[in-house]
Amino acid sequence: MRRVTALPAWLRWPLYAGVGIFVLTLVETLDDTDRLTSASASQSMLRWGVPVLLAGLGGLFAERAGVVNIGLEGMMILGTWFGAWGAVNYGPWVGLLTGIGGGALGGLLHAVATVLFGVDHIISGVAINILAPGITRFLASEIFTGYPGGSITQSPRVPGVGHFTFPVLAGGEVGGWLSPNLLGSLGDRDWFFVSNVANLARGLLTQVSLVTIVALALVPLSTWLLWRTRFGLRLRICGEHPVAGEAQGIDVYRYKITAVTMSGGFAGLAGAFIASPELSGIYLEGQTTGRGFIGLAALIFGNWHPVGVLGGALLFGYPFGLGLRDLGGTASHSLLLVNAVALAAIAAWSLSKGRRTNAAVACVLAVVAAAWYLLSETVPDWWVNILPFAIVLLVLVFFAQRLRMPAADGQRYRRGEH
Amino acid sequence: MRKKWKALLPAMAVIAFAAAGCGGDEGSGASSDVSVGLVYDIGGRGDQSFNDAAAAGIERAAAELGITFTEASPNDDGSNRGELLQLGADAHNLVIAVGFLFEGDAAKVGAANPETSFAVIDSSMIDWAQDPPAPYGEKIAGLVFAEQQGSFLVGAAAALKSTTGTVGFIGGVRGVGGLIEKFEAGYIAGAKAVNPDIKILSEYITEAPNFDGFNAPDRAKDIALAMYEGGADIVYHAAGGSGAGLFEAAKTQSEASGAKVWGIGVDSDQYNTVDPAVQEYVLTSMLKRVDVAVFEAVKAQIDGTLVGGETRYDLAVDGVGYSTSGGFIDDIAEKLEEFKAQIIDGTIVVPTDPTQA
Repeated sequence: MRRVTALPAWLRWPLYAGVGIFVLTLVETLDDTDRLTSASASQSMLRWGVPVLLAGLGGLFAERAGVVNIGLEGMMILGTWFGAWGAVNYGPWVGLLTGIGGGALGGLLHAVATVLFGVDHIISGVAINILAPGITRFLASEIFTGYPGGSITQSPRVPGVGHFTFPVLAGGEVGGWLSPNLLGSLGDRDWFFVSNVANLARGLLTQVSLVTIVALALVPLSTWLLWRTRFGLRLRICGEHPVAGEAQGIDVYRYKITAVTMSGGFAGLAGAFIASPELSGIYLEGQTTGRGFIGLAALIFGNWHPVGVLGGALLFGYPFGLGLRDLGGTASHSLLLVNAVALAAIAAWSLSKGRRTNAAVACVLAVVAAAWYLLSETVPDWWVNILPFAIVLLVLVFFAQRLRMPAADGQRYRRGEH
Repeated sequence: MRKKWKALLPAMAVIAFAAAGCGGDEGSGASSDVSVGLVYDIGGRGDQSFNDAAAAGIERAAAELGITFTEASPNDDGSNRGELLQLGADAHNLVIAVGFLFEGDAAKVGAANPETSFAVIDSSMIDWAQDPPAPYGEKIAGLVFAEQQGSFLVGAAAALKSTTGTVGFIGGVRGVGGLIEKFEAGYIAGAKAVNPDIKILSEYITEAPNFDGFNAPDRAKDIALAMYEGGADIVYHAAGGSGAGLFEAAKTQSEASGAKVWGIGVDSDQYNTVDPAVQEYVLTSMLKRVDVAVFEAVKAQIDGTLVGGETRYDLAVDGVGYSTSGGFIDDIAEKLEEFKAQIIDGTIVVPTDPTQA
């Protein structure tokens, strides 16, 4: 185990993904299905993961600067309204910008309350979650009711920014030339594991929304910004030891306010994505359905690191998308076996670390999952619905000891008090 | 002062009573002393669905029956429903609440205001905890619809128009007192009445008490796409706001595959409410005439015939039906009218439980 964790992050995560796909392939072969590693499985994983990823990145910037942002959900709601409003009036790209702006306004409010006025972070965040739907309701009643097809609870149809299919790898068109589809033909070969990886990869490269590409690009960009620039170093000091930062002459307030406003911007982009035709194609009251909170869970799962947040978001998006497309519950039934294998692995890992209680709990859960798998043909809808949340919860339970949040996260900081 | 005021009360009651009596004598004349407090579901007027249908009904009542009315709509978490009902009861002789979510509050407020009539849309207002089950109150009416009958007709339309032999159903929330299951049952029965071998894909977005399923167009879109990819060419939704995702999916699938697929709307004539870009994918809509129910409730109040407990609006009184906007089902209208006549005369009894369909 030690050797694996010693690997650099860019090697470690693909390795985890490879092991995961290998298990999925095994289960698929056993169960005689092709749902788990189909192109549409990875496609919907990405689609459902992106809002969670963006919300998680938003949480990352705020918490790295020491401010807990539980108001992400509210900022996301602002993003859905402003995103739809901008897209309907000025086109899809402007919609993304107005969505970011709407979310950033929410972030700025949270920043002013927590940083300048010293309000408890949780209280301010909850207040924003309550305030945001009220604001969007009011704005919709003032503005959307005047549009054809709009009403107090919904917008007219929201236009999208379009898609891109990668040439050569996934068979996209370049200037009218239909390029070969390498991954597609590889996926059709039925080679164990290789074809499965090819299919999943093809899904990630086919009909990708341009917003998705932007969102994914934000992962390395955030890493670079936070760990490779002066701005990032100073921002992180504010979350680890603001007093030390102050002694170095850093304007801690300014960095915190900037970080939390950016955080709102990320959440706003997530909201604009939800309203875009990539997911909904409409602004509808209540459509965020708690994905801001899932973003926070992804942040914790990812140990306050962008790549980890991406992992958490995809881990949520995969079963969620699979469950939706799984008519009759057979693929989710196969997932039970995957769960059993994963839990058994967790049990072995916990045992190697000497955590006997954890190992015993994981072992029992693995047996339950395996027994359920063997004794049933399909799984009920409610299980499909809670599975993504259950997975995130389990991961947090078993890996909590490995997590380390920024040292001064959530603490009230007053300039010059120390 | 206070005493005098109290002494006046019986006299005032007599006057009010006489006035109400007069209104009754005039029947559906041009003016009436009945005043109605209409409490909308969350969102109020302008939702292009339920609330707008209720508004149309009350405006018709105001124009034809000469009643007066006020309107209110709850805050966005619906926590002030009871207060709004009480507010309505303070100033009106009839309070109409739009939506089954009012059931509990209406039962409570109704019991506290025995002089006022209440009518709740989509709830039977029967207390199932009593033995035998009885209405919550003599003046607490529940206005319900035979959604299964309307769904039967659009199910038949789907089966008649389907070229693949597979159709789909998307329900918003499972387990809301069997409400959405009625749509599913009727749809399945209607489709099977046309083609006994038809394959029906059926999914619900969420389960009660998680009501996200009515506000999740993104999830509805993914489910609909999976159904279209699974061979369905017509999908019916009973999922409120989530339905926008169904028509979006129909457009996406039709454009990607080149073979046209359809969606079927619900509650209102969705051909007229969806965006023009997806209009051509709305085959028909199952109509639920909330406007008829509201109008009839007001009329019953004027005539003094409003009864506690369930009043059902079915095909026979045009409480439910199907829309023909767009002209996509003109070629099968005759067959649908045949089914409609058979349901009305009782030859066909439409089930309300999907397992019996």
